[in-house]
Amino acid sequence: MPVQAAAALDAATLDHVSRGEPAWLVALRADWWRRVEANPWPTPAQEEWKRTSLDDLPRDGGLLLDPPMATYDLDPALAARGVIFSDLATAVREHGELVRAHLGRNDTIAAQMPFWGRSLAGWTGGSFLYVPAGVAVDGPLVARTSLPAGAYTYLPHSLVVLEQDASATLLEEISSPDGHAVWFGGTADVQVGYGARLRYANLQRLGDGVWRIGAQRVEVGQDANVTTLNAEIGSGISKVGMDLRMTGKGGTSRLLGLLAAGNAQRIDFNSCQDLLGSHTTSDLLYLSALYDASHASFYGVTRVRPEAKQTSSYQECRNLLLSPKAGAEPIPVLEIETNDILRCGHGATAGHIDPIQRFYAQSRGLSAEAAERMIVRGFFERVVAQIDSEPIKARILDALAPRIGQTDEMAA
Amino acid sequence: MALPNPAAAKVPTGYKYGWHDPEMKSLHVMKKGLSREVVEEISRIKGEPQWMTDLRLKAYRHFEARPMPTWGGDMSQIDFQDIFYYVTATDKAVSSWDDVPDYIRRTYDRLGIPEAEKKYLAGVGGQYDSEVVYHNIRADLEKLGVIFLGTDEGLAKYPEIFKEYFGTVIPANDNKLAALNTAVWSGGSFIYVPKGVHVELPLQAYFRINTENMGQFERTLIIADEGSSVHYVEGCTAPAYTTASLHSAVVEIIVKKGARVRYTTIQNWSHNVYNLVTKRAVAYEDAVMEWVDGNLGSRLTMKYPSIYLLGERAHGEVLSIAFAGSDQHQDAGGKVIHAAPNTTSLITSKSISQGTGRTSYRGLIKVYPGCHGSKSTVRCDALILSDEARSDTYPYMEIDEDDVTIGHEATVSKVGSEQLFYLMSRGMNEAEASAMIVNGFIEPIVKELPMEYAVEMNRLIQLQMEGAVG
Repeated sequence: MPVQAAAALDAATLDHVSRGEPAWLVALRADWWRRVEANPWPTPAQEEWKRTSLDDLPRDGGLLLDPPMATYDLDPALAARGVIFSDLATAVREHGELVRAHLGRNDTIAAQMPFWGRSLAGWTGGSFLYVPAGVAVDGPLVARTSLPAGAYTYLPHSLVVLEQDASATLLEEISSPDGHAVWFGGTADVQVGYGARLRYANLQRLGDGVWRIGAQRVEVGQDANVTTLNAEIGSGISKVGMDLRMTGKGGTSRLLGLLAAGNAQRIDFNSCQDLLGSHTTSDLLYLSALYDASHASFYGVTRVRPEAKQTSSYQECRNLLLSPKAGAEPIPVLEIETNDILRCGHGATAGHIDPIQRFYAQSRGLSAEAAERMIVRGFFERVVAQIDSEPIKARILDALAPRIGQTDEMAA
Repeated sequence: MALPNPAAAKVPTGYKYGWHDPEMKSLHVMKKGLSREVVEEISRIKGEPQWMTDLRLKAYRHFEARPMPTWGGDMSQIDFQDIFYYVTATDKAVSSWDDVPDYIRRTYDRLGIPEAEKKYLAGVGGQYDSEVVYHNIRADLEKLGVIFLGTDEGLAKYPEIFKEYFGTVIPANDNKLAALNTAVWSGGSFIYVPKGVHVELPLQAYFRINTENMGQFERTLIIADEGSSVHYVEGCTAPAYTTASLHSAVVEIIVKKGARVRYTTIQNWSHNVYNLVTKRAVAYEDAVMEWVDGNLGSRLTMKYPSIYLLGERAHGEVLSIAFAGSDQHQDAGGKVIHAAPNTTSLITSKSISQGTGRTSYRGLIKVYPGCHGSKSTVRCDALILSDEARSDTYPYMEIDEDDVTIGHEATVSKVGSEQLFYLMSRGMNEAEASAMIVNGFIEPIVKELPMEYAVEMNRLIQLQMEGAVG
């Protein structure tokens, strides 16, 4: 199927996109587009945009109008209990009022607003997950999207809402063929209610011509527990911002990242762990394995607000440099505005494989390549071990296999 | 226009270093403000060679052209036209203690300089206002060929060495404040240690700001030739005045092959001073450069001693303590640039914020491609003593080489209630107990200070803690 794309991202295109949509959504898109036009394009003067230049962002490809192939499998028994899992456009048609209550209601941090706004104005795809109060979804829900070939702009928006005491595990996987200049501006708005529990994994396997400029916003309610995982494997340039808001008292979050990059890939991640509620816990662990001339940047802020007492937070970013041309810029920032903290700190490292580890592995008969794969696998294990859904773990290990080999390599 | 200074109202009346000698007469006092004419006049009064006049004017143009930095602390209250750029207390430097005028000696007596000299000093270069008024260098150092002079005197007596190195580490256009210093610099120390000479005792100098609204723009240049070593110590206390004062120094250090330099600073500026300092060293093959930097006092300090490791196996260390009380912001840290293979560095930062004070660690580790075998560790610990205090950590790292080991770690904590309870159950009051815990926290750095500074540091922490608790 040929890609149907509009000329450019502008008001006329948005009129076209919103044709046939309910009036509230037409107004919502128009409202976000006005904000996009009022908001300046990012500049290197913003700390989050110092390390990725948008000068070469492929802006000429038109907006992808038809949503690409996506699969959403949901057990009918869960659907009967009120769980909704579909693409966002279908959800608007079938559950309009529910989507309306949650879509486009939130701002995000200033550095991400230009892309957050574009996505909320111009989305033509994205997932919608709604879990009603008290409903537990056992197995993982998987949303798998394959983007078509061609040069275009695609700005999907995913909306995840867990009501009080709900629980769910979600994997969003996105892939596309190599060799096409695509601007992929996907965003996600994750709202986790009182006492709810969410495991949310993103597996990114985009083609090497893709610019992935993403934004995620996660709000953790009182006593809620959230783990997010960003596994960044593909794309040419990847810039993802995470806006985590620990608003509810006693909430817990873990932000995990696995980055495996090669060739001339650039991966730039910025996070803001905003601890607003007292007795909240937020830990971040990002691990990068960098091959060839790839480069990873990390700029993460932990902010503890004056009223957020008795919080506990840690931020850790480790980079394994596997080639003389690989580079890393890990920058973990703390802004602590109260002394009533239980624990607060950060750690960042960049370095090569310990030659003693390499020597040991080789002295046991492994080839240099196998030794490296095994050591990188061990390096990733701290995150992999925290993925508590076996199907998701298997999926992510499979995606990493070209770098770290199959897990049964040692047995073979 | 005189600026209101909210900090001044909070300075206790008994502030020990907040005196002002009424007999003091400044001999050269220019009118306030900065212009091309003021820069030319400073150079003319000093009788400088033309190249220095030209450099000052070039730097002045840079200063004019560059915007104020927008990061770091709040500098919006600085009015560059409300500052004296050149003041001297006496006409010329004198070489013996007996020749120092009485009123200046009284000031120094209160700082304890003569006693300190008896014990430890190898030479004293005390800066009273902008000019060096007292210089005493021990005869044996002179015999070894060590030059230890005021910077103005250094320019007059050793123009060749001076011209070869001045402005090479921190060029006139480096940043706005360094450009200002280059345009109006006055005083500071000039040190040259010849090849293979080890200066066993620390060289010391005291700086003070003693004229209301007078900016102090001292310029220090230290050259340690191959295989030599020297430890330079600088300590500051400033009188408490009621309008904002600016201290903007530049320190340049060249550590040649196999040489070793340690530069220790303890600063206790009064709470209305803006302390905006550029300090940078270059270290060549097998050289060692160490900055020991203690920042107390001031309204705002922005200071990031940096080291460029330019030769193989060079080593750099920055040890930094910052203490911010109410209405104070200490934005300090360190930078190390690894520009040669097998270079190593260590940055240790300890910061304490109290009342409404704010401490920020801001640092950079950069490793250029090809600098294999480089290792760096950055360790930042912050102690927050009050509910309204704030602590930030901004550690920048840019690593463009794989064969390296780079690590950064930071923690933020408060004084544990169990620790306080234990000490108070042993009969201490809360202030004493807190001071003891804080002293323990900064101990790894204090133990690196010369003995009298370590004593002073602990005493200053104690003074800060009194009235802070309870």
